[in-house]
Amino acid sequence: MKKWILALSMGFIATCSLAALTESPELIVKNVSRDVLEIIKKNDKDPLKARDLVDTRVAPLADYNRMTMLAVGRNWKTATPEQQQALTREFRTMLVRTYFSALSIYKNAQVDVKGTRPGNDASEMSVLTEVSLPGQKPIPLDFSFEKTDTGWKTYDIAVDGISFINNNRNQFNAIIRKDGIEGLIKQLSDRNNAQRNTNK
Amino acid sequence: MRRLLPFFALLLGACATPQNNYDPIEPVNRGIYAFNNAIDKAVVKPAAQAHEKYSPGPVKQGAGNFFGNIDDFFASFGALLQGKGSEASHSMGRVLVNTTLGMFGLVDWASDMGLKKSDEDIGQALGSWGVGSGPYLMLPFRGPTTLRDSSDLAVRFFADPLDIWDGTQDLSTQVIRYSAWGIEQRRQLLPLEQLISTQADPYAYIRDAYLQRRYFKVWDNNPPKPLQLGPTDEELDAMDAAEELQTKTSAASAPASLPASGVAEVAP
Repeated sequence: MKKWILALSMGFIATCSLAALTESPELIVKNVSRDVLEIIKKNDKDPLKARDLVDTRVAPLADYNRMTMLAVGRNWKTATPEQQQALTREFRTMLVRTYFSALSIYKNAQVDVKGTRPGNDASEMSVLTEVSLPGQKPIPLDFSFEKTDTGWKTYDIAVDGISFINNNRNQFNAIIRKDGIEGLIKQLSDRNNAQRNTNK
Repeated sequence: MRRLLPFFALLLGACATPQNNYDPIEPVNRGIYAFNNAIDKAVVKPAAQAHEKYSPGPVKQGAGNFFGNIDDFFASFGALLQGKGSEASHSMGRVLVNTTLGMFGLVDWASDMGLKKSDEDIGQALGSWGVGSGPYLMLPFRGPTTLRDSSDLAVRFFADPLDIWDGTQDLSTQVIRYSAWGIEQRRQLLPLEQLISTQADPYAYIRDAYLQRRYFKVWDNNPPKPLQLGPTDEELDAMDAAEELQTKTSAASAPASLPASGVAEVAP
């Protein structure tokens, strides 16, 4: 009897993780946005806690490595593996600190999935959504997904047409031209440290 | 004149490696940006923060609605110029309802009545006709725009709807009104403060965000391809190659160029 239950529950767990692997980008966005809005609402008074919870919820679905690679652009190839790691770490810290701490203004927001747009090939896809706050113009929020071995992952988000990747690539290129990859890592970590000190 | 030479060389140097395809007068823009920042830090931001902190909710809501009503007025023309009939009629309907029932725009009744707010303006209309953005401009006291989008400010100024019932706005009224508009707009940007301050190059970040956002709106949120803001990878490769060549040749001719720069420094 016990074996049966075990087998059943094992099977159940297997199907669950399988489902997670094959979850469509659209469904991922729906589930994550629902959870994120809930986190923001529950932690209205504590934006730092909300930020960390959102970070944890989003982390398995975001491909920060690819995000950083695309933001750094052609210079990524010339960076050593250690430099690539450092860049990813600092870029991720920057994104989490800046974007996720500002989420509290969206506590009454509603996220509507508007549809999807195919990417360059079958392994890419964008999910188009709109974030609306009462009495304000809805803000388009688009997620770019790519299919990986561990399911669909987001590698870019565009807020009102402003893409994380695009908006940083230009600045990053300019800094790398001037101060090299090490210079960019230093600038990013200096900014992050300054934030850490002013920000509890 | 000779004293100016290094200055020109600096300007040329800045032009030689453009960061952004749409920012030909970057040094000038950066100067104005620094000026705006100083004004912002001293006056505008504190005022906006005070407004955020001390104005009661209905006052903030009312201020947002009042200026939003003027936005709707121009949005209706922006929509009309693009042949978007339903957007135009919704926007015009909003203006009519909110100006009358909503007490000169202070209350937004139109949203409750299902009249949708549309995000159109004259700059977008021109863009939809194929007018390019033109150079990026940083305006004193006003902030980022482009040559094309500045048409919006001009139209707003010369076809001011408030002139309809108050054709003789004197200077002080105008100053108060535009200050109030500026402070309300600044208040709405306060949540972005941290985002901008953590950037390695806040000027470039704001510029690239502004250009992308406008491009996106011109294409009604569905652009055919991302906007190429800076040099392409191929162009950067070519620039690197040229730079390498230059350092090689200048290293070879370094002794010859020394006296020339020496003269420029000594010259009165």
